Formats: sequence, C-alpha cells, structure tokens
Amino acid sequence: MIDINLLSKKYGEQTVLDIDLLNIPSGQTFGLVGNNGAGKTTLFSLILDLIEATTGEVKNNEIVVSKDEHWKNHTAAFVDEQFLIGYLTPEEYFYFVGGLRNMKKDAIKSALEPYKDFFHGEVLGQKKYIRDLSKGNQKKVGIVGTLISNTPLVILDEPFANLDPTTQIRLKKLLKEEASATGKTFLISSHDLQHITDVCDRIVVLNKGKIVRDVITSSKTLKELEAFFQEQL
Amino acid sequence: MYKKFIYLQWKSFFRAAGVASKLAQKILIGVVWAYFAFVFSGLAFIAFYGIQEEFGLDPLPTVSGFLIYAFALWIVIRYFIQKMPMVHVQPLLTLPLSKKRIVHFGLAKSTISFFNIINLFFFIPFGFILLKEDYNLWGVISWGLSIGCIILTTNFLNVLLNSQDRLLLVATAILLGLFGLQYYELFDITAFSEPVFMAPYYQPLWLLAPLALMIFSYRQSFEHFLKKLYMDSDEMRPKKEVQRATELKWLDGFGRTSFFLKNDIRLIVRNKRARMAVWMGVAFLFYGLIFMMDIYDYPLTKVFVGIFVTGGFLFSFGQFVPSWDSSYYALMMTQNVPYKEYLKSKWWLVVVGTLVSIPLASFYIFFSWESYFAILAGGIYNIGVNAHMVLLSGAYTRTPIDLNSMQRAFGDKKSFNAKTILLGIPKIFLPMFIFYIGVLVHSKLMGFILIGVVGVLGFALRNLVFDWIEKVYQNEKYQTLAAYKQKNT
Repeated sequence: MIDINLLSKKYGEQTVLDIDLLNIPSGQTFGLVGNNGAGKTTLFSLILDLIEATTGEVKNNEIVVSKDEHWKNHTAAFVDEQFLIGYLTPEEYFYFVGGLRNMKKDAIKSALEPYKDFFHGEVLGQKKYIRDLSKGNQKKVGIVGTLISNTPLVILDEPFANLDPTTQIRLKKLLKEEASATGKTFLISSHDLQHITDVCDRIVVLNKGKIVRDVITSSKTLKELEAFFQEQL
Repeated sequence: MYKKFIYLQWKSFFRAAGVASKLAQKILIGVVWAYFAFVFSGLAFIAFYGIQEEFGLDPLPTVSGFLIYAFALWIVIRYFIQKMPMVHVQPLLTLPLSKKRIVHFGLAKSTISFFNIINLFFFIPFGFILLKEDYNLWGVISWGLSIGCIILTTNFLNVLLNSQDRLLLVATAILLGLFGLQYYELFDITAFSEPVFMAPYYQPLWLLAPLALMIFSYRQSFEHFLKKLYMDSDEMRPKKEVQRATELKWLDGFGRTSFFLKNDIRLIVRNKRARMAVWMGVAFLFYGLIFMMDIYDYPLTKVFVGIFVTGGFLFSFGQFVPSWDSSYYALMMTQNVPYKEYLKSKWWLVVVGTLVSIPLASFYIFFSWESYFAILAGGIYNIGVNAHMVLLSGAYTRTPIDLNSMQRAFGDKKSFNAKTILLGIPKIFLPMFIFYIGVLVHSKLMGFILIGVVGVLGFALRNLVFDWIEKVYQNEKYQTLAAYKQKNT
C-alpha cells in the first residue's frame, strides 16, 4: 500500500527524517512509536503530501503522492485539529467529508450508526459546533470522519491522546474490528506502548528520524519496546 | 515589565509568516501616513485662513463648533478601520502578571495609533497659526489639551464599541440626524457645541471636564476588559447553541461545488469575522454618495466609485480566500478536493455578492445616468475580472484567520483593514486606464462600454483563468500550509 524509498526531510542542516526503505503491505495495521521529535508526524505529513520531501518519494498504491493527487481517493486521515471545521456541527462535518467521497446523506447517516457507542451520546444531536466541543469529543469526530467513508487506507496521528480511559478502550476495540472486518490498512502513531501493541500487527520505532526497530507484534513486543525506551534515559 | 510586553510584540511581528510582505506593507503604510500628514497640515491652514477670508468668521469658534461632527465621525470610522492592538492574552493569563497590568498595556498601546497621532498634524499647526494671529497663549494650550482629551476619549470609546455593535448604530444615527437637521436648517448643533468646546479657551479650569471624561472612558474600557479577561467570557470564547439546522438543500443543484458553497455560507453566517465582509459590502453600496458631491464630479472618479460600490463584498471577502479556510486547510488538502471546485465555490460567492449589489445600487440613477453607467460597468468588470484577481492575490496573502478564537480581547477583529485596501488598489487602476482609452478614442460612453467589454471577456475566459489560478494555488500549497500552521500572526 505504502512504499517509501530513500525518503528524507531536512530543515536547513537538520535532518528530521531519513528512511531508506519502508513498505507497508495492504491490510496491515501499522503502528509508529517514538519520542517527541522522532519524526512521526513528519512521516505522516510526507505521506499525505502536506510537506515537501527533501529527497526521495512516497508511493501510495503505486501513485507518487507529490506528483499525482489521485491517492486522495482512497486515503482518509486525521492528524490534528487542522482537520476539523470548527463552525460546523459534527453531523454537517460528516456530511461534508462523506459527501466529498460521493456518499449520499442517508448512506452517511447509516454509516454513523455503528459509532453511537463510541460517541457516548456526547457528539451527535447536541446542536453544538465542533469548536464548542471538548478536545476529546473533537478527536472522536475527527477519527470517525476517517472511518465512515470506507477508504482502504486510514492514517491516524496519536488517536489515543486526549481521550478518556473508557473511550481509549472503545477505540482499540473499534480499530481492531475495522481492521479484521474490512481489511483496511491503518497507519497509527502513539506514545502509548500498551495500546499500540494491542492494536497493531507491526510496529516501527522511529528515533531521531531513523527506523531503529521494525517488528511483527508478538507477546514479547511490549517488553522489548519498554526496554528500548528505558535505554534512551 | 512593559519591556517584556513590547519584546513579545516585536518577536511576533518579525517571526510571523510572510515577514517580507509585511515589511512592504509597512512601507506602503508609511507612504499613506506621509500623505495624510500632509493633508491634515494643509487642512489646518485652510481651516484658519479659509474660514477667516471666505466667510469672514472667527476661525477658532467656528472650528470648535464643527468639532462635534469630527468626533462623531471619528468614532464611526475607527470602528470600521482601527485595529485593536494585538496582545495575545491567553498565554499571559497564567503568568505572574497582574491582569490589571495586561489590560493597562493593551489600552496604552491602543493610544499609539494612526487615528490619534494624525490629529496632531492638524491641531499643532492650527495651534501655531492661532498664536501667530495673537490668540491667547494659555487659552490655546488649554483648548488644545481639551481636544487631545476628547480624541483619547473617542479612542477608548472605540475599544468599548468594538464589542458592542449597537453603540455604533447609535453614534451613526446621532451623527446623521444632527447633520440632517443642520442641513435643512431646522436645528444647528454647532450653536451649542461651540461654547462647549470654546470654554477651555476662555477659562482653563474647564479643561477639567474633558480630562474627567477621558479618565472616565479609560476606566470604563479598563473595567470592561478586566472583566472579560477570563477564558470562558464571551469575548475570549464564544459558546453558542446552534440556532437552527441549516440544510441549505436549495444549493444541491450546484453538484460537487455545493459542498463548498454550503460550508462557505455557514462560514459567513456563523463567524462574526466573516459576517463583517457582508456588512462591508452593504456599507460600500453607499460609498458612492460622497462622490456625488460636485468637487468629485469627474468621470474618472466615477469609474473608481463604480468598482467599489458593487465590489465591497468581493474585495473584503475575496481578499482572504483561501485564508478563511486556514484553520482546516490540511483537511482540504487531503480530501479528494479538486481545487477547481473549491475555487469555483468562492468565485460563485463573490459573483453572487456583486450581482446582488448591482440592482441594489440602481438608486444612483436618480443622481445621473453617467453614475449609473459607471456602476454597471464596474459591476461587470468586477464579475469578469476582479473576481479572478482577488482569488489570485489570495493565493499569496497567507494570513491565517483564526475563526475559532477570533473574539479574544484586544484581538484582531476587523476583516477589513489598511492592508486589504492597499491590496485592492491594483484592481482599480486598470479599469480607469481602460476608461481613459475609451474617452480618447471616442467618448465617455465608449469608456464605460470598453470596461464592460473587458469584463465580459474576462468572464468568457474564466475556465482558462481558473486553470491558471489552480496552478498558482498548487505551487503555493506547501508554503500556504506552513504559514497556516502559525496561528495568531
């Protein structure tokens, strides 16, 4: 699904990302961990063509993202609040995002149905604009916005941050179900090692812009990751 | 402590996105300053010797009498154009600074503005002329100080007015009412205002009155902002229930463009800053009235007016495309949004705004056919050419607009400022030039027709132009995204 070749991003002299090779096959739930400044958001921004690569390129389904915009047809992403439209109600936001992907209003309504639990009655039908929702509820809106349109690739930057414990558990369940039921490819980053090992098939550790670990998740993975970050002290 | 505040302001200016363009603006604004300084100094001479020789009146009392209009007009103009100095208060709130200090600083900074200082260029030369013409020294000083107090009072009133639209309407109504009464010789306010403003000249003790007024207005705005300096006050964070569901079904006929149109209409309805663009459109409809006076009765100025009368909304809204969407630009760039659809939606908005203005402006027919032709030609030109031009210049504007927290105290509240005016100038000169050619070739009518023809031509070529603008937007994409990440600049 994603093929990265000799990709780097420099700001002046400083290299913030330097990846020789990274292939993410279709259907994988791919987890990205690393400390602040490791390059997680930079990598996602490059995959989404929000910033320009210094060298190399990202291919999304064989499409070079910086040259051809058609990757947008099968990709949905939620990185930060820059992906929300504050003056819309959550419903209007979903109709907008879904509508751009040629979904009819009724289809969007029924696509929202499975997420009622996830919203916990605090998002839909509230007659509130997104800007007036709490940070956690805003995040829920952003995440669900990437799921309703059934794109084969979903990119979520730090989806667990700002969510309450119950919702974190719900989100884990949701992501696992989506991945197994629909065969979607997920790219997820997190600072929470427990959550990411629970959800992802494969975990890549970034450190100072480079890939330092690349493992298929097993029962030992969490321990190994904890050991790795312990070493960074 | 104050040094720290000034340091913050300094940094935010030089570290903001697009510093180079800001510097260019500052230079242009400098030129505007020089112009107004010159005009105001000149006015001081005209006000004295003109009144003395043309009307045979004593200049000082006459000027004093009419000051009431100057002050009222000042309040109204300030409301629209003066920008509140920006102090980014939210991050300061938890620092060990007393709230009083933060507010004092904001208010002190508001006094150092064009609208206050420009007055000095009138009153100081005027004062020297008075002294030269043997007016009483202490009287003149006392009179000047009292005027200064009143100017500062209007300044602080403006700070208050900025949060209350109703007060503005009252000030405008009083101004127009008094002027109307005076014009039809029913009631002459200057007969009352003259002794009031002259009092400090005859008896310096009267200076205490405007001084008290100034202190009072300062205290009022101080109290106002001190109370509003909470994160959850209306000023800092508006929290409103949705009034009614707006389905906007009637827009579905526009196909994919309708998604954007719906958003844009909600943008305008639900954000004060965007609503302001609509009000500018309404205000500019009447802009032509001042140009109906004899001294402005030249065909070339009519072309100028024609562009503005129908283009108020076009300029004030279009100038900030795509900045209106700055807070969620990253979302737009990752959806399968064809730029063209996005641009078309904005284009439709400004075109519809202009189309609505043209029949609304038809009352100018009562003044002269020439005025009406100018407005008609200007409208066509706006639709055909300027609608594209504003979208194009928008690609380079890159000022992030923070819709979510725009109502913060001392915030940058006005969507219409000196910068938008400056950016609008190139869009005005071309039609004037075209008109001039028409006049040279044949007649004034020919000039108006030529402007219209160029407009129609631009309209016919719109798909070509869209392709071009699309490329510009795409080339600017990464820079625009980077600039929008930087909020509060």
